[in-house]
Amino acid sequence: MFTRFHKFAAVALAAATACSSVFAAEKTIKVGVLHSLSGTMAISETSLRDVLLFTFDEINAKGGVMGHKIEPVVVDGASNWPLFAEKATQLLEQDKVAVVFGCWTSVSRKSVLPVFERNNGLLFYPVQYEGEEESQNVFYTAEAVNQQATPAVDYLLEQGYKKFYLLGSDYVYPQTTNLVLLEYLLSKGVPLANIGGGFRRDESGNIISAGKYTPFGHTDYQQIVAEIKQFAAGGGAAVINTLNGDTNVPFFKEYAAAGLSAESCPVVSFSISEDEFRGLPADQLVGQLGCWTYFQSIDSPANKKFVADFQKWLSTTTVPGIVKTGRVTCSPMVLSYNGAYLWKQAVEKAGSFEVDKVRAALKSGISFDGPGGTVKSQPNMHLTKNVYIGETLANGQFEILEKFDAVYGEPWLKGKFK
Amino acid sequence: MSFSRVLFAAALFVLLELSAFAAEPPRETIARAVLAPDTSTRRDLISSLAGKGDEDLAALLDAWRVAPLYVYESEITGRVAVQLVGPKDGNGAQDAIRVDDGSPLVDAAGTPLRLVDSTLASVRITTPLRAAIKSVLDLLDLNSPVASRRIDAIKTLGFSQDTEKEPLLRERLDTETDSKVRIALREAIALIHLASADKDTRLAALGELRELHTLSSYGLLESTFRDAQASGDTAIAEAARVAIRAVDSHRAKVDFLGTLFRGVSLGSILLVVALGLAITFGLMGVINMAHGEMIAVGAYTTYVVQNLFGAGLVIPFFGMNLGLPGMNLQGWGYQTYFIFALPVSFLAAAVVGIGLERSVIQFLYRRPLESLLATWGVSLVLQQIFRLMFGANNVQVSSPSYLSGNWTIDDVTLGWNRVFVIGFAILLVFGVWLVLTKTPLGLLIRAVMQNRRMAACMGVRTERVNMLTFGLGSGLAGLAGAFVSQINNVGPALGQSYIVDSFMVVVVGGVGNVLGTVISALGIGAIDNVFQQYLPAWVTEAGAIPWIGNFLQNLGQDSAVFGKILVLAGIILFLQWRPAGIFVTRSRNLEG
Repeated sequence: MFTRFHKFAAVALAAATACSSVFAAEKTIKVGVLHSLSGTMAISETSLRDVLLFTFDEINAKGGVMGHKIEPVVVDGASNWPLFAEKATQLLEQDKVAVVFGCWTSVSRKSVLPVFERNNGLLFYPVQYEGEEESQNVFYTAEAVNQQATPAVDYLLEQGYKKFYLLGSDYVYPQTTNLVLLEYLLSKGVPLANIGGGFRRDESGNIISAGKYTPFGHTDYQQIVAEIKQFAAGGGAAVINTLNGDTNVPFFKEYAAAGLSAESCPVVSFSISEDEFRGLPADQLVGQLGCWTYFQSIDSPANKKFVADFQKWLSTTTVPGIVKTGRVTCSPMVLSYNGAYLWKQAVEKAGSFEVDKVRAALKSGISFDGPGGTVKSQPNMHLTKNVYIGETLANGQFEILEKFDAVYGEPWLKGKFK
Repeated sequence: MSFSRVLFAAALFVLLELSAFAAEPPRETIARAVLAPDTSTRRDLISSLAGKGDEDLAALLDAWRVAPLYVYESEITGRVAVQLVGPKDGNGAQDAIRVDDGSPLVDAAGTPLRLVDSTLASVRITTPLRAAIKSVLDLLDLNSPVASRRIDAIKTLGFSQDTEKEPLLRERLDTETDSKVRIALREAIALIHLASADKDTRLAALGELRELHTLSSYGLLESTFRDAQASGDTAIAEAARVAIRAVDSHRAKVDFLGTLFRGVSLGSILLVVALGLAITFGLMGVINMAHGEMIAVGAYTTYVVQNLFGAGLVIPFFGMNLGLPGMNLQGWGYQTYFIFALPVSFLAAAVVGIGLERSVIQFLYRRPLESLLATWGVSLVLQQIFRLMFGANNVQVSSPSYLSGNWTIDDVTLGWNRVFVIGFAILLVFGVWLVLTKTPLGLLIRAVMQNRRMAACMGVRTERVNMLTFGLGSGLAGLAGAFVSQINNVGPALGQSYIVDSFMVVVVGGVGNVLGTVISALGIGAIDNVFQQYLPAWVTEAGAIPWIGNFLQNLGQDSAVFGKILVLAGIILFLQWRPAGIFVTRSRNLEG
């Protein structure tokens, strides 16, 4: 007598046979892509989706990961942080993806973190961030503060700048970065009087926030620029800019109108890359500084090939909604690219897609020759990589001024310089 | 030891080292710098040029700051530093000039060579080189015919406190006639004297600096004061303190005037963006949530006009590509685009506004809540249309040269674009006043707004008047958009950032009253800037009271945000006291 169970088993077996005969030649592995494809962050994050799809195509063309073709599952976080957590749950629990590449803002990363820890998932995070975090479920290909902010300050100090004005958007990344920078500047012998932007203290007088902050979408920078102009009047001053997104436009327009320039008081920005220049008046920023672990202008065969391959992929891709003209490459894009290859190598080293084994492989120190030079994974889930300081050109590219080789990514900096 | 002194020492060292080449013409030094293997050698070579050279050299160094110099290598000439000049031809080739003697680069047969930049090794300028070039140019600039360049050069020399250069500055002071340059010279000499070992010289220098009270000397004065206090030199400390006080009081004056100017300019922007609303909301009583999008229409129109004057553009729209050819104008021809963009923006926004009135708003007069909802929907639709046509990214609108730059009077910086917006606002208000009081249309508008039925009985075509009034209000928003494109981002969400400000200004001013709109816009702008400027100072003074001090200090640090919050809170309180705004409009409407 056939029980219900037997029937079910028979059907399942038949289905499995059917499936395996269809997919026998084509084993696949699901990989999640979690970025905002709509809302305010879409401007930046769609580029990361594009570069990830390009990378998967490239890996698949070379035979995939351990014989499995990558099957991307793209979801839209819609610049909505609770939705990021929901989409992460969907990727991990429903689609059972092996790994997720995604998130841009620190708040989106913080909101998906519990989901990844609960499901023991693995997230590759590609955008410069404030540090003070080290999860076993996140691999940070991103620049840590000591791979962007402190090398930039070192460079300015080396150039003879003595006074620093801190300016940023009012949220976690600039606030934390500036506190770290404050400690760092003090440890380098820069007196408190030479740090501009103001301080906020708690009741016992400890500094809990340094620098001037404006909300997203702030447009009137007259007063702040006037303050910077007075601050810079005696020479030797520089601005450290952690403003995010398009508030940079009114700021730099006002800065130029007030007669300040890269020669009188340079601005070093941490959130403006080649991709952002597509929406900024680059000619007003000529000579201002940027610091990243990759610039499109890096003159190496690996980078030239990467840029050319990406452009070629853009011209042939059939994925709907991809902007094809005027595209550039930038650091978060390359860090996404590097992340995908590091994961591939870790999987192949571990011989398994299981997160625990892949993580162990990653921690063992895997290196990859990416477009920005060799990167190497560290036991603390960060990357050792080269850091570049660049100067803005009128065409929205950077001229590289200085390179720091193989900088170890260190997320815990607060309190280290005292 | 300061960085500049290290640099100077290095330069001196190199000077000695290079004495063998002392007779070498400056151009040859630059040529050798281009061929040098690394940046530090380059910097040393360029620094060795300090005090030499002529206009020709200045032009070459200036050119190097903009475009790279190149290294040309061939079997006949060896390695030669070249500069590429003139327009590129079809192959991208330009005329090549030898850096070492300024003559055209020729091949073995003596014909001038034309080279393509991408095939040559380029030597681009970097920040350390830029600093070295600037110090060389500064010395040349001491004799520049342009006063501002002379001032820059003098300031740099003063701040480096380089005693060697003092006689040079003194000599210049004897012949200098420009008053601003004279002040800069006196300041620079005093600053150099401040580093002197002789106490009387330093006291005299402090006296001079007190008299000049320049903002730029503040840092050095402070450090002099601290050093003197530490070493117990009371006379110097006292003199420095007095000088610092003089600068402080000058700074207070500059801050006050600067804040006043910035307040008026912010007020003018608020006025410009709110003027259209003062007509559609104030006079007609239509709550138009799409007013912000009318501003965006004006801004995007400016962008389109800019591109038409330039290289043209392609607008994708519902699957079709609308290609607009450009006029490819250069220089001043291109810069005038903004003048043409103003009327075009007015017309474009007026046309969109009239379309909106005919299609939606005409059915909603006297139904304010429905008009609020419907126009909000329209605003979302318009934003999506902008996205489809121009993309989700911001578009770039460049400022014409006559709107960038500034005018500095006694340390108060007046940006050209801000001066322009103030004049622009005055003209607009005057224009609106003329239209409303001196034209037949204005008479009809006022009649219809005061009593629609009576006007209709007298034979006024009220429908048409409504349409034209709405068109006028929208057109003014378009003009505002053209201006806003010069100071802010142009993107699909542009309108959103101005809608709240516009309503705020109109409601505070008194609905239906243009004069009230002017006063409230200027008042809000000024108060906002006063808070931003003085909040930190006030809270420092209040800091003596324990927790209030801390609380206020936290406010003061985010003065940009809290200035706005205080203004909003003030507006709410004000409206409790005078719900109808500054001026209450008397009307013959029963509901009024």
